[in-house]
Amino acid sequence: MKQIDKPLALPIQKIITESERVKTFVFEYDFPGGPGQFVMCWIPGFDEKPFGIIKKDGEGFRISVAAVGESTKAMHMMEEGDLLGFRGPYGSVFTLPEDGKKIAMVAGGYGMVPLSYLAQEARKKEYEVHLFIGARNKQELLFKEWMAEIGALVHASTDDGSEGYKGFNTDLFKSNAENETYDKVYTVGPEIMEMKIAQICWEKNIPFEVSLERYMKCGFGICGQCSVDPTGWRMCVEGPVIDGEALKKIAEFGKYHRTASGEVQKYPWIKE
Amino acid sequence: MANLSVNLAGISLQNPTVLASGIMGVSSSSLKFVEENGAGAVTLKSIGPTERPGHKNPTVFAWREGIQNAVGLSNPGIENSIEKITTSVTQLDIPVFGSMFADTIDNFKRVGEKMASTGVAAIEVNLSCPNTEDDFGRMFALDTKMTSDLIKAVKSVVGDIPIFAKLSADSSEIVEVGKAAEAAGADAITAINTISGVVIDINMKRPILTNKVGGVSGPAIKPMGVRAVWNLYNSVKIPIIGTGGINTGEDAIEYIMAGATAIGIGSGVYYRGIDVFKKVTEEMSRFMEENRYKSVEEMRGIAHKAS
Ligand SMILES: Cc1cc2nc3c(=O)[nH]c(=O)nc-3n(C[C@H](O)[C@H](O)[C@H](O)COP(=O)(O)OP(=O)(O)OC[C@H]3O[C@@H](n4cnc5c(N)ncnc54)[C@H](O)[C@@H]3O)c2cc1C
Ligand SMILES: Cc1cc2nc3c(=O)[nH]c(=O)nc-3n(C[C@H](O)[C@H](O)[C@H](O)COP(=O)(O)O)c2cc1C
Ligand code: FES
Repeated sequence: MKQIDKPLALPIQKIITESERVKTFVFEYDFPGGPGQFVMCWIPGFDEKPFGIIKKDGEGFRISVAAVGESTKAMHMMEEGDLLGFRGPYGSVFTLPEDGKKIAMVAGGYGMVPLSYLAQEARKKEYEVHLFIGARNKQELLFKEWMAEIGALVHASTDDGSEGYKGFNTDLFKSNAENETYDKVYTVGPEIMEMKIAQICWEKNIPFEVSLERYMKCGFGICGQCSVDPTGWRMCVEGPVIDGEALKKIAEFGKYHRTASGEVQKYPWIKE
Repeated sequence: MANLSVNLAGISLQNPTVLASGIMGVSSSSLKFVEENGAGAVTLKSIGPTERPGHKNPTVFAWREGIQNAVGLSNPGIENSIEKITTSVTQLDIPVFGSMFADTIDNFKRVGEKMASTGVAAIEVNLSCPNTEDDFGRMFALDTKMTSDLIKAVKSVVGDIPIFAKLSADSSEIVEVGKAAEAAGADAITAINTISGVVIDINMKRPILTNKVGGVSGPAIKPMGVRAVWNLYNSVKIPIIGTGGINTGEDAIEYIMAGATAIGIGSGVYYRGIDVFKKVTEEMSRFMEENRYKSVEEMRGIAHKAS
């Protein structure tokens, strides 16, 4: 697998509107990359931002982008045929358990991006996949149909109760895990959600992996921007996928992250 | 393992590899990670008078022979960095060098004074960042008079802490600037910083970097780095930290034979991984054993003796 480190300009082949907030951009190019890895996407004239890669069967690759700020909103204004530049793939990949075939995934927001790709790969190898997708409402539950198609078992939860369990997917997972035994759990989403899942897995001794997002600049391990305390591991090289045991060593997990200047910023739920 | 220890302006290093400024220097944890991977010393990312988020991405990209960057001196500012620097100094067993930049001599003095209080083993004065002209104007290292005034001013506020002047090969006067820095009291020279360049994506019809212009590092600039060290060695007596495109032990020895006392590694972290320091020292050791060199000192400047 060859990593591309100088942006490769690619035309957008197809744009799919997934929901009010999320659009998917499909490319013909067979870009390398496994579940959990990300690309640096150059939006000319704006910025370059990290996005998880999905390689859906029969396609080159795709990214799904939530419009949250200036560059992602600019992407949502783009049209088929417009060019985006790509470097990558960067970072570590999720690994499926060797013993046991039953896995759970807990996804919040665009956390479904790497997890849907992982679910696809896991289903090909005949794993039983339980997906706990959480979103604000029914429309924001990403890739539900695709996941059902590949035979993943979807446990939806929404904040407003418009579909599935009304409340947090962490609570739904917690009560589910009282009766079910999973060989491995995967979680990607807001860090507060990942923290709750990590707590449950540590308590129950379930092996798990999280994807830990930090501000990215180079993506290939030299600027040090995405290093975590106190290990210094780079989330663009040693991460973003981190094993539950290794995660115990990352003291900043759930507490703080660094901004573009390198300054530490505490999460809102952390008090002095 | 051959004896790789060197004395750099009174600072003893177990091996001559020094992490170059701007690479992995955002936090004390990342520097510790570099130490675990075999560096002889580390240089912090350059710190300035106030917080800067740096330029927007794309700020860095790479190809087989080079890396181009215009990170734009992102840093939290000296006030927010003192604790981090102090922590790095206490947590690391190897020497930690500070690095600083500023727009004016007064601001350099202000940063220098604060940095001197953190216990760093030396302070590198970044006279030569090519990526912030719009904000800071021309780099100091293009001008002998400015370099001299600046080094004198910094020297006056940092006590006995050694000062390294980081020079640029963008100046055709690098030797004159080096001499001026020495005369003004610099204790060592770091050469070279990145070399300014432009890379255009022909499909996008625009330069890749948001800053358009950016510094090139890595294998592409090694001959220019070696030339700078070669010329400086003939003209100054203070030690030189040879930097630019060092990926292997052989590259390091080339710089040492040109006259370097220690060698800086930045882009090598990309080309060979975080353990590039271990790899380079092992390769140096192997070369020295095979060729019966007993010390790094014995090889220093040896290429100048060729007739
Ligand atoms: C490994 C990784 C994978 C990601 N995968 C996806 C994905 O599949 N889909 C998706 O929609 N989003 C993904 N993101 C988040 C995405 O990068 C940000 O939403 C995007 O950068 C926002 O840019 P903006 O200009 O719209 O907003 P801004 O206003 O610039 O930023 C909004 C927020 O996005 C985050 N962010 C901005 N720039 C960066 C950066 N360079 N590195 C990391 N975080 C940043 C920060 O938390 C910031 O507060 C991923 C992030 C990481 C680190
Ligand atoms: C991403 C990046 C950031 C850098 N930031 C700084 C910096 O903040 N201060 C500085 O003096 N040099 C900086 N440099 C220059 C390096 O310290 C070094 O002089 C140059 O890269 C040449 O060495 P190399 O080929 O081993 O990378 C930076 C280089 C890179 C690649
Ligand atoms: S983004 Fe530069 S080291 Fe990870």
